[in-house]
Amino acid sequence: MTLRVLRAFGFVAALVIPSALLVAHHEPLAKFDDKKPIRIRGVVSLVDWRNPHAHIFVNVASADKVNNWAVELESPIDLEANGWSRTTLQPGDKVAVQGIAARDNSRQVWATTVVTSAGREIFTVNTAPPPLPLQPHPAPTWPDGQPRLGSVAGGVQGYWAFPSATALVEAGVNAPMDEWGLLRNIADAPKVAPMQPWALKLYKERQERFLKDDPMYLNCKPPGGPRQFQMSYGLQFVEDRVRQRIFVLIGSGNNNYRIIYTDGRSHQGQVGGDDDNPLFYGRAVGKWDNGTLVMDTRGFNEDFWFTNGGLPHTDQLTLIEKLSRPNFDTLKYDLTVDDPGAYTRPWSASWTLRWVAGKEMPRHLCQENRS
Amino acid sequence: MKRLAFALLAVVSLFAMPAIAQEGHPLKGSWLGTWAGNKIHGNDVLLVMTWDGKNITGTINPGTDNLVIRNASLNPEGWLVHLEADAKDKAGQPLTYTIDGKIENLPLASRIVAGTWKDSRGNTGTFRIGRQ
Repeated sequence: MTLRVLRAFGFVAALVIPSALLVAHHEPLAKFDDKKPIRIRGVVSLVDWRNPHAHIFVNVASADKVNNWAVELESPIDLEANGWSRTTLQPGDKVAVQGIAARDNSRQVWATTVVTSAGREIFTVNTAPPPLPLQPHPAPTWPDGQPRLGSVAGGVQGYWAFPSATALVEAGVNAPMDEWGLLRNIADAPKVAPMQPWALKLYKERQERFLKDDPMYLNCKPPGGPRQFQMSYGLQFVEDRVRQRIFVLIGSGNNNYRIIYTDGRSHQGQVGGDDDNPLFYGRAVGKWDNGTLVMDTRGFNEDFWFTNGGLPHTDQLTLIEKLSRPNFDTLKYDLTVDDPGAYTRPWSASWTLRWVAGKEMPRHLCQENRS
Repeated sequence: MKRLAFALLAVVSLFAMPAIAQEGHPLKGSWLGTWAGNKIHGNDVLLVMTWDGKNITGTINPGTDNLVIRNASLNPEGWLVHLEADAKDKAGQPLTYTIDGKIENLPLASRIVAGTWKDSRGNTGTFRIGRQ
């Protein structure tokens, strides 16, 4: 590939890589190697526009044969939010792709730039959260003064997204990670949380395998625990005051929901007929305390990762979660993790989410592209 | 009779405990496999282990032999497993089993513990169990 061609198709990978990696549905580095940059040119043979990631297939000609390459893009949700569609490219279109190559040397590329033969860069994704108002608006309240966690009937609809932290780290710890909880420096692993030796070793091994064993990624397991507040497609609350429960609708995973009971029931025997089996979202009871919803959640199973990044947990996990809405656009989430099966002491973390006004929560189904 | 009972138990266990993910403590769960050449308690072996945050506990061949696991440990450096269990032979004489192995395929729910078993009379053989 000549320098002229490279210039024609854009030398913007260095600028685009960080933002592209930020919004990927799962850790791209589990599959692709950021130390293996690659460029291909060819003719589009197929567009596969399905979650969790869209793909374009490109025929790349060499001197003696034509190879078909799979080019992985962001999810259709992210792409469509930025104005792209399944018809942006058609079979027969010529493209140049820059990206990173698959770790297993298969003919796959994680695209950081896709440029048409006309020199138009396509499939760009902007991940910036919506701008905050100059003056914070007060949080909406119920007649009794409690803040509303969800939309107001007849008012502006929306959902919560753009978490300020997307991986669980003990409060006050500086352990730089990427969006999916992959440590920049594996030596920081012991600082992330007060893990027991087996949990620390397991965490490090998950990290060293680039999180490729994540059961949410491999098997579409639900993002239980605090992870539901870390997902890129956000969440919604439906406050059912008549039945004294709050539904948390989760925009990722497989559009699961969690129930927080506020009617005073206990954890044991919470749902008739489920025999107190451990659950992906555990059993949550909540009560309001001066504008803060305090939730005690326990009864988790061990079939999932409870945070991006792969911190282990056991079925002894108990979470104390506090939700508040300090202003219209901000949801504050405070968490205390108590799991004597995996950690040496209780520890805490907190982050905020942003209100996305006037939009429906994306309907992302993990299993959509896995059948 | 014991062999038949074990076989039935193993079959029932396979249906009752589907191979689901287990992302918590690596030894927790039900394990099925062999301790090759064990003429006292048979070639096949079933273990159920759990973790309370401090100790690994469990039973070998629950429902038939009911050998209580003691002095169990997991060394994360190398994922080395050590198990002991007191037993009795067919004449009612005591013996002790010692199992040393290593977890293979740690990230998988269907992980393996492979190593050796020996008893206090000098019998020994290969040991291999897979998590169900």
